[in-house]
Amino acid sequence: MAEITLVEAINQALAYEMQADPDVVVLGEDIAKNGGVFRATVGLLDKFGPERVRDTPLAESMIAGLAIGMAIEGLKPVAEFQFMGFSYPALDQIINHASRIRNRTRGKMSCPVVFRTPYGSGIRAPEHHSESTETLFAHIPGLRVVMPSSPARAYGLLLAAIRDPDPVIFLEPSRLYRWAKQEVPDNGKALPLDVCFTLRVGDDVTLVTWGSLVKETLAVAEKLAKEGISAEVIDLATIKPMDMETILSSVEKTGRCVIVHEAARTCGVGAEISAQLAERGLMFLKAPVQRVTGYDTIVPYARLEKFYLPNENHIIEAVQRVMEFA
Amino acid sequence: MKIFHLPDLGEGLAEAEIHEWYVKEGDVMKVDQPMVSMETAKAVVDVPAPQPGKIVKLYGKKGDIIQTHAPLVEFEGEETKQKDQGTVVGSLEESTLLLDEGDMIIGAAKKTASTIKAMPAVRALAKQMNVDLNSVSPSGPQGQITADDVKKAAGQKSKLPGNVEPLHGVRRSMAIVMTQSHQEVVPVTLIDDADVSEIKVDFSACLLQAMVVAAKAEPSLNAWYDGKNMERCLHNEVNIGLAMDTEEGLFVPVLKDVAKKTPQELRETIDEFKKSIRSRSIAPSDLQGATITLSNFGTIAGRYASPIIVPPMVAILGCGKIRDEVRVVEGKMAIRRVAPLSLTFDHRAVTGGEATRFLATVIKYLEGK
Repeated sequence: MAEITLVEAINQALAYEMQADPDVVVLGEDIAKNGGVFRATVGLLDKFGPERVRDTPLAESMIAGLAIGMAIEGLKPVAEFQFMGFSYPALDQIINHASRIRNRTRGKMSCPVVFRTPYGSGIRAPEHHSESTETLFAHIPGLRVVMPSSPARAYGLLLAAIRDPDPVIFLEPSRLYRWAKQEVPDNGKALPLDVCFTLRVGDDVTLVTWGSLVKETLAVAEKLAKEGISAEVIDLATIKPMDMETILSSVEKTGRCVIVHEAARTCGVGAEISAQLAERGLMFLKAPVQRVTGYDTIVPYARLEKFYLPNENHIIEAVQRVMEFA
Repeated sequence: MKIFHLPDLGEGLAEAEIHEWYVKEGDVMKVDQPMVSMETAKAVVDVPAPQPGKIVKLYGKKGDIIQTHAPLVEFEGEETKQKDQGTVVGSLEESTLLLDEGDMIIGAAKKTASTIKAMPAVRALAKQMNVDLNSVSPSGPQGQITADDVKKAAGQKSKLPGNVEPLHGVRRSMAIVMTQSHQEVVPVTLIDDADVSEIKVDFSACLLQAMVVAAKAEPSLNAWYDGKNMERCLHNEVNIGLAMDTEEGLFVPVLKDVAKKTPQELRETIDEFKKSIRSRSIAPSDLQGATITLSNFGTIAGRYASPIIVPPMVAILGCGKIRDEVRVVEGKMAIRRVAPLSLTFDHRAVTGGEATRFLATVIKYLEGK
């Protein structure tokens, strides 16, 4: 069994599903000949040919529109935006069309498209290349937003996203693309969408996170265990629709919740989780819900990047704050 | 030598002018430390060091035009062949770390701990009142602990310093019953002595029989009283609760219908009670139904006392330590055996006259033996 990185897992899932389903096609800027800006699609052109692996012009709105049309007509396109910050020209297509096809046609048509894009900072990239704006998409009815955090989940969730009959925004943490390797059997087994993954079981505090910061959060849980604090770590994985049942069930047990995300604080997905905990889990809370997030600023350039990204100390401080409440 | 080439400082700019060098040859750089400011057609931009190390050569001086991708700075060290970085923008570090996340649970982990439901304000109150919510029984909707529950628990909370030990079993029920008695009963205690010099048989049995006789004479002491409804119930049978001290606490087994029992039978029953209490096998029915109580505390020590009535009973007789005493008998001093008696009665249900006559009857019975 091969040990592969997250970006290789994306490649592996794409290749598997293209092999298994002739309707799956990939398209995007430099994804064919060049293998993609992060090499996620490397080798696909040779394997599946230019009919199914298409380089596109530098026009994200067109990429999205093209993919939506393909999807409505029965293909299963997986379109790539080079960076999340480049997806905004495509918002019109995504919000006004992809998300609404099923509703607009009263269920006669669906739009089985996947929009893949790397997100997040921490790779010393320029402006527009470090965005974590999952909340934009999560706010739109009709869109599913999925964010993997390990090679295994990237593989299993991307397969599920491609097979899903509705549009999925698939956000890949670029910082974790080559961070670590994991054994990922290439068996075509999808992971379920719309559920959280509990990565670590604990009793004292629930840490809810997703995507790029799962790495730091797990490391913090390990450190806290040495101090006698038992943390449960939940990977939200599917941002929308959100599996609140898993979070509530955990908070019912621990009574404390710290939400960790890279995105800016205001109206971040953490705010939604916090609100739902207030609505449905208030009576279980022993301490105020805490959020560890990016700042309400543009993600800075390389030199200041590390000051923007929530780090292990930020998470530990938040846990210490909630542990002060008996 | 490692040569750093001028990167594209904008979107497809062909060249840039050296505006100012911040470094000179021989300087040792840190990553991101600004090296040079370059003026492009669009702006003046600082170019940071891409790597740590010593600068061995600067390509150009202030005012020189440098073509994009032309050499700019040379660092000490060997040139390594550029590998595919895995990205065209930024830098991705290739790691050899092997990820082992252990078992991932799809959805929620199984819950083990029991959960407490309480709103934050209630939790804050509990903290302020130093109440452990685990020990509070909830009365609110959906099993929630309310502020009142916390206040109630706070009222019951131990104020003792150090290690406290909760009361269990008979010790706990004694505490409850005695508190109830203290809050409810209006007790009066009469004390007197009985000359028991002539008693040669089992004294305890005699005392029990004396109580039977006294109860027949003054039935209002062999009674139950309900203070709330102001009702009393006089009993024909005299069922005497006998206070017994054990390590576990106070037991009061009940000798039923004492009138019908011979001294021998009474003694046997008492001995059986002692045994069954020690082995904790006494039947609950043997602990219920007393109509009056006897506390023979004098077998240990103490002369007089103010014994406590257990409601709904209205009287308890205490007998202190029997002693030899000089008494006047027919005008002369004599050394006699004297039993000190203490009778507590509930003045709500029993008059002083009834109580004194009861005690007089007991004494008369004991002295007449």
